[in-house]
Amino acid sequence: MVRLPYVTALTTLFSYGLLFAFGQLRDFFRKIIDWFKSTSKDLKGYAPICLGLEDFYTRRLYLRIQDCFSRPIASAPDAWFDVVERYSKDNNKTLHRTSKTSKCLNLGSYNYLGFAAADEYCTPRVIESLKKYSPSTCSIRVDGGTTDLHTELEFLVARFVGKPAAITFGMGYVTNSAIIPVLIGKGGLIISDSLNHNSIVNGARGSGAAVRVFQHNNAPHLEEVLREQIAEGQPRTHRPWKKIIVIVEGIYSMEGELCQLPEIIAVCKKYKVYTYLDEAHSIGAVGKSGKGVCELLGVDPADVDIMMGTFTKSFGSCGGYIAASKEIVQYLKHACPAQLYATSMSPPAVQQVISALKVILGEDGSSRGAQKLAQIRENSNFFRSELKKMGFEVLGDNDSPVMPIMLYNPAKIPAFSRDCLKQNVAVVTVAFPATPLLLARARICISAAHSREDLLKGLEVISKVGDLVGIKYFPAEPPKHGHQAHKKVD
Amino acid sequence: MVKLYVHTVPPPDLNKNTEWFMYPGVWTTYIFILFFSWLLVLSFFGCSAGMAWTVVNLFHFSVTYYFFHWKKGTPFAEDQGIYNNLTWWEQIDNGKQLTRNRKFLTVVPVVLYLIASHTTDYRHPMLFLNTLAVAVLVIAKFPNMHKVRIFGING
Repeated sequence: MVRLPYVTALTTLFSYGLLFAFGQLRDFFRKIIDWFKSTSKDLKGYAPICLGLEDFYTRRLYLRIQDCFSRPIASAPDAWFDVVERYSKDNNKTLHRTSKTSKCLNLGSYNYLGFAAADEYCTPRVIESLKKYSPSTCSIRVDGGTTDLHTELEFLVARFVGKPAAITFGMGYVTNSAIIPVLIGKGGLIISDSLNHNSIVNGARGSGAAVRVFQHNNAPHLEEVLREQIAEGQPRTHRPWKKIIVIVEGIYSMEGELCQLPEIIAVCKKYKVYTYLDEAHSIGAVGKSGKGVCELLGVDPADVDIMMGTFTKSFGSCGGYIAASKEIVQYLKHACPAQLYATSMSPPAVQQVISALKVILGEDGSSRGAQKLAQIRENSNFFRSELKKMGFEVLGDNDSPVMPIMLYNPAKIPAFSRDCLKQNVAVVTVAFPATPLLLARARICISAAHSREDLLKGLEVISKVGDLVGIKYFPAEPPKHGHQAHKKVD
Repeated sequence: MVKLYVHTVPPPDLNKNTEWFMYPGVWTTYIFILFFSWLLVLSFFGCSAGMAWTVVNLFHFSVTYYFFHWKKGTPFAEDQGIYNNLTWWEQIDNGKQLTRNRKFLTVVPVVLYLIASHTTDYRHPMLFLNTLAVAVLVIAKFPNMHKVRIFGING
């Protein structure tokens, strides 16, 4: 539930209307100029590669503020990193890199536990495995790509998540888009949350099953959709559905909200449908011992049929996993194309995950895992409460390390991004189509590697830029007398 | 300046081309744009109020007919062409007919017609042009015209 002033909604719609009108005007003139200039006969008779309408958004809106996205970095994405400076001579149509970099505070990487940079336990072991196993297995899992590291990782992941067995893949996006078509096909029904990630949407479209959407995090609406669909059956034939799967995420990366897992699981059990939980952002980052939303919300992992996650966010590696019962994992090993045709995970990456998991579980002999988990929880809660006190509209639940700051107006996106970069704070701004049209935002990801000074500097810069850009939509709380507000009461 | 706050939830519409219409403030913005364009026409041409309303009505007719009922598909390549045969009017609200948004969009040309013809005292030729505009727009928005292509034009 987002609150915004009514006047802001009107001005945002008006700005988008203006941008749209100017884009259409430019397209119109471009068509006229190109019609005069088209003397080349080589491509006569060929159909155009893309319809003029399809990339309208990319050409006329995205390219104007292109320098706020895809910024190249020149170091590991730790709490501070080097951002390469770019310049453009033709109004952002093409960008050129310089060889200068600037050291910026990293508020955009998914580095929840701080494993993204060199770590005292993980990095020596990774280098050792690089020397022993080489950077790539050069083969698919079923041929020669399963090393003992891979089997160890699968056992460890299954134990960590609390399921009987697990299977890993080389890429997180592929885990969703290649698994869902294997689990369900034509004649089945997928009910997914309206704000699910693009990988789930792609997997659902590719499976051939019917797809229905329920309102974000709304268990009563899910029940309503389920009842309607079960009663109606398949379209046209009205036969009962062969299988129904409900797909939700643990933390929604654009909202920072936690899923209402207990209510949704209760609804699914009542109607006997399968559940698929995508914990890409929540595994390792929330929960007392980092075991994800199930631990945080008190849900038994045996109640969720399939749990999916990625190693990119909290573990500092790449790849994804699926944890489920032994029968499902056995079936996936024989049927999933990502196992049968795609190269297996790179062995140093596997070793990184194994070492990171050992640190989190405390099996490396130190308490660094518990320290990191406490640090990220403390950091996120502190940052979020300070931002709210300053008057920003911040989304997300407590304990979630992702906090989007609402911008709304399309012109504030480049203003916020560029001003923050000038003051050496790198933030990620997200606009349409990753978010709904009116709700453009700047998304902050807090990490356990951020110290208290880093957070204070970030808050200071964001407050100054927020005043300049005008996004403090709510009245700021007056500072309490003395410094009692900053004392952590625990 | 009193700040009124509205609540909005992300609407459960997967079609990014049409979901922007489900937000608070869209209807008000539409009406404001029409009113301000009337003021603009009055200041540019210096004509009578009735002529200005007629000009606004005809301009509104051409713009909305083109964008709502002529242009097909979506401006995003990620939709992979599933909406390539549907105009914007056929895409909104997921194809459901007679929703609140559709009723509002049908009423606006009729109200514009009434204002334009009243302020020009029902004189020709403005009356004929206005009637033509409103007839085409309202018929295009009938539920029975969903996915209908007359004589295969724009099919």
